Amino acid sequence: MKEKHIQTLGIFLTTFYIMFIAWLYLVEPKSLEELPTRAQTTIENVTTKTQVAIGTYEVDQAKFNEGLKAFRADNFIVARDNFERADTEKRDARTQFYVAYSFYRQGFGKISNDDALFKQGLEQINRVVALDKNFKSDDANLQIKTPVELKNEFEEGLKVTASDFNPLKVLRERK
Amino acid sequence: MEKGERQKEKTVSLQSGGAEIKDLSFVDGELLEVPIDEIPTAKKHTKISTEIETPKTKNENQNQKSYLQYVFLPLIFLTVALLGGWRISVTDDAFVFLKPPLVCLIFATILLVLFFRANLIKLDGWFSENFSTLKNIANATILVSLFAASTQVFNALLPEQGLPFWTFAFCFFWTLWNNLFAEFDTKRLLQSLGGLFGLAFVLKYLLLAGLTAPASKSWIQGIFENPAQEAFTWLLDLPKFAPATGYIQFFMLVFYLIGLFLLKPETIDKREV
Repeated sequence: MKEKHIQTLGIFLTTFYIMFIAWLYLVEPKSLEELPTRAQTTIENVTTKTQVAIGTYEVDQAKFNEGLKAFRADNFIVARDNFERADTEKRDARTQFYVAYSFYRQGFGKISNDDALFKQGLEQINRVVALDKNFKSDDANLQIKTPVELKNEFEEGLKVTASDFNPLKVLRERK
Repeated sequence: MEKGERQKEKTVSLQSGGAEIKDLSFVDGELLEVPIDEIPTAKKHTKISTEIETPKTKNENQNQKSYLQYVFLPLIFLTVALLGGWRISVTDDAFVFLKPPLVCLIFATILLVLFFRANLIKLDGWFSENFSTLKNIANATILVSLFAASTQVFNALLPEQGLPFWTFAFCFFWTLWNNLFAEFDTKRLLQSLGGLFGLAFVLKYLLLAGLTAPASKSWIQGIFENPAQEAFTWLLDLPKFAPATGYIQFFMLVFYLIGLFLLKPETIDKREV
């Protein structure tokens, strides 16, 4: 083997080994059994980031549908989990809108709202606004169609006003 | 023969095995009387190897050296880099990978400067515009792996936190800083580093590890059974690692010293000069 071939081999092996060590220290597996799982996660992440970089990123439609099904069945925790898996990079306004909406529906109460969930919902809806200011949902089952309306619901729900003590409030419906 | 006699010899040609030696211009000095029986006889024989170094053997040797330098050496250093931050948790035997603190990078940089100063690595022997780009890159990867290994050696030998960390760090810094201004040759530098790293290893993995209370016992039980270890663990903020960590770090240190031993001051090939 010629010297230049050995040098090339050395450069490739060294580069590969350096990358492996850097990856190992980055993902910090707890055991040897954990290595394949971590490797798979890393590959998925890299694939997604590459898709984002080259503009071919798409939401996982199957996961999104599962999330939508759970959302319509009022199983909001499962719904959010599926939506987050469907849009790992949090770049799709529609998916993120459903996540925010799930906070609203889960936190809504006839007597009082769940402030913690409403605060998370407010943060989430701000993300939707940042992604697409003009987003409008085409889902007929949702009464609130735009991020602005949903944001208003969250803000009103978090405020303590005289109207909160109105007994007729119990008659209001979740949107 | 008379003492002090000057003898001027003309250029002499000696025919010896086909080699011609010319110009023995002057013999200027005292001539001594020597008994006849002590006159040295010219019976020196030159051994001629019967093995003929064929171009093929030469190439194989060259290949072996190249493999050692460009493949084996970086792999040794990178193995050191891999093992240096590796610890085993005492509670569940889980792997713990500790990233090197900034001070380790500083120490490794000083160490590399020391290597250059002590001629363990000669800069012009590793990088030159006479070399091919590929060779320069290959040499750079070896040095990068050496730097990574040096960083991780300090990461392995420095205690992880608390007062021992700062004490060890200060001692390392003091030693390396002093060495920067000392006159070193390669052998002395390696001896000095061997001593420094060996001492640090013994202090951390034998002395401090011996002072650390075992993690399996509860705190109250530990205080009653072994108050001194509990006190030292608490006072010195000592982390608890499995004994396997010490073994891993021992081999890490051995690999590093082997790597330094195999490192050549220069990579100049005769064909390239």
